Amino acid sequence: MKPLEHDLAVGAAADGNTKLNVIDLHKSYGSHEVLKGVSLTAHAGDVISIIGSSGSGKSTFLRCINMLEQPHSGTIAVTGETLKLVTDKRNGALKAEDPKQLARLRTKLAMVFQHFNLWAHMTVLENIIEAPIHVLGVPKDEAIARARKYLDKVGLKNVEDKYPSHMSGGQQQRVAIARALAMEPEVMLFDEPTSALDPELVGEVLRVMQDLAREGRTMVVVTHEMGFAREVSNHVIFLHQGRIEEQGHPKEVLTKPKSERLAQFLSGSLK
Amino acid sequence: MIDLNLIIERFPAFLGGTDGAPILSTSDGLQLTLELLGLSLAFGLLLAVPMALMRVSRNKWVARPVWLYTYVFRGTPLLVQLFIIYYGLSQFDWVRDSWAWEYLREAYVCAILAFTLNTAAYTTEILAGQIRNTHYGEIEAAKAMGMGKWLMMRRIVIPSALRRALPAYSNEVVMMMQSTSIAGLVTLADLTGVARRVFSDTYMPFEPFLTVAGIYLVMTFALVWLFKKAEQRWLAYLAPRKH
Repeated sequence: MKPLEHDLAVGAAADGNTKLNVIDLHKSYGSHEVLKGVSLTAHAGDVISIIGSSGSGKSTFLRCINMLEQPHSGTIAVTGETLKLVTDKRNGALKAEDPKQLARLRTKLAMVFQHFNLWAHMTVLENIIEAPIHVLGVPKDEAIARARKYLDKVGLKNVEDKYPSHMSGGQQQRVAIARALAMEPEVMLFDEPTSALDPELVGEVLRVMQDLAREGRTMVVVTHEMGFAREVSNHVIFLHQGRIEEQGHPKEVLTKPKSERLAQFLSGSLK
Repeated sequence: MIDLNLIIERFPAFLGGTDGAPILSTSDGLQLTLELLGLSLAFGLLLAVPMALMRVSRNKWVARPVWLYTYVFRGTPLLVQLFIIYYGLSQFDWVRDSWAWEYLREAYVCAILAFTLNTAAYTTEILAGQIRNTHYGEIEAAKAMGMGKWLMMRRIVIPSALRRALPAYSNEVVMMMQSTSIAGLVTLADLTGVARRVFSDTYMPFEPFLTVAGIYLVMTFALVWLFKKAEQRWLAYLAPRKH
């Protein structure tokens, strides 16, 4: 068990070891405020699970971190660099002032989606080498070597020339993880990575994620898998109605919840 | 009865002779038909890709002109468009005085221009539809990987839309191939034009038109086969798993 001090540091002030620092994020859809000031700090090697019932804002929060959703206020900093945000005249939310800076910070925040979102017209290999070559400027042979290394890491063999639609959901998600790894990101964002999978395929994806956590990768995971949150992550955030209701070390939070809502949520999901 | 000898004797003329050649083309018959088709499809596709991107733009000042263009060219008969370009433009002094007149006086250029503008309009709509149909998750993945708008268009959206447009585009190509048969109405000796000449030479209508009908049919089969091969190659990801 990791020392408690480490957990207290999460959510506290950023230091040189901070990979991701999100402060006081607010987001509304019309008059409905879905995020009411959510903060998160991830240090190198942190694995942070975000849990909560549907509608709690957990996916929205994760998607705000890389600006797939536009927050209305708050700050986002990746490896100490703060994303410059300005008001978007179209909708009153925030948008990146400099698209180039956003693109650069996004390359440090690889994302794995619930529905994999592989590029359907590309083979597995093409999916993985695409962004390293065309976004990062990695030479093609090096990108291919990288792709093979990460395919091996996610436990896939002889799939390079397959199209995503010809693979199982679990395999597709592992390709998506390899695609994210090939960016060699600072932080990996997982948006309910096992929610779209058949139950028997969930394990293979969780095992890969567990390996990544053990390697010391910094991960922020929105998940329904309480087993993963408890065993793999070193910090759990429970979101309820757009606020952090409770957070801390999983052994504390998940076994001795202080808030009634979390107790309720856990009794509903731990069966 | 059908005069087989006439068909056999005149058949080479349908495939492409050299009489009455317009400036840019040195051929008649099948060769001219293929030239008209190939050039107008190539120019049309080159125009259609940027216009399709404009058509789906959120900026209405960019999208509306393209909408108007495709509406006009899909809403009027190709023959009328060809006549307007070939006969109509010469009414204007400023057209006759311009540098372009050297080209626009040629039926060949007018036919390619009309066919290009027409097929570009249809192809733009086909492509724009497929660009709109791009899976939203694939766009999000591209953004999340740090792709800028143009890189994403060039590497993800357009290649994907072009592939998914193949089945609809193959119809457009076959329709366009048959539409080139109106080139004869502005003095060109394409396949149908040659047939009309043979008819006026011999007063035998059935043989020459039956011959061109057969040639068009063979070309249609060839095009359909080509597109089937193209779909097997570029739409393999939509095919059922082979194993």
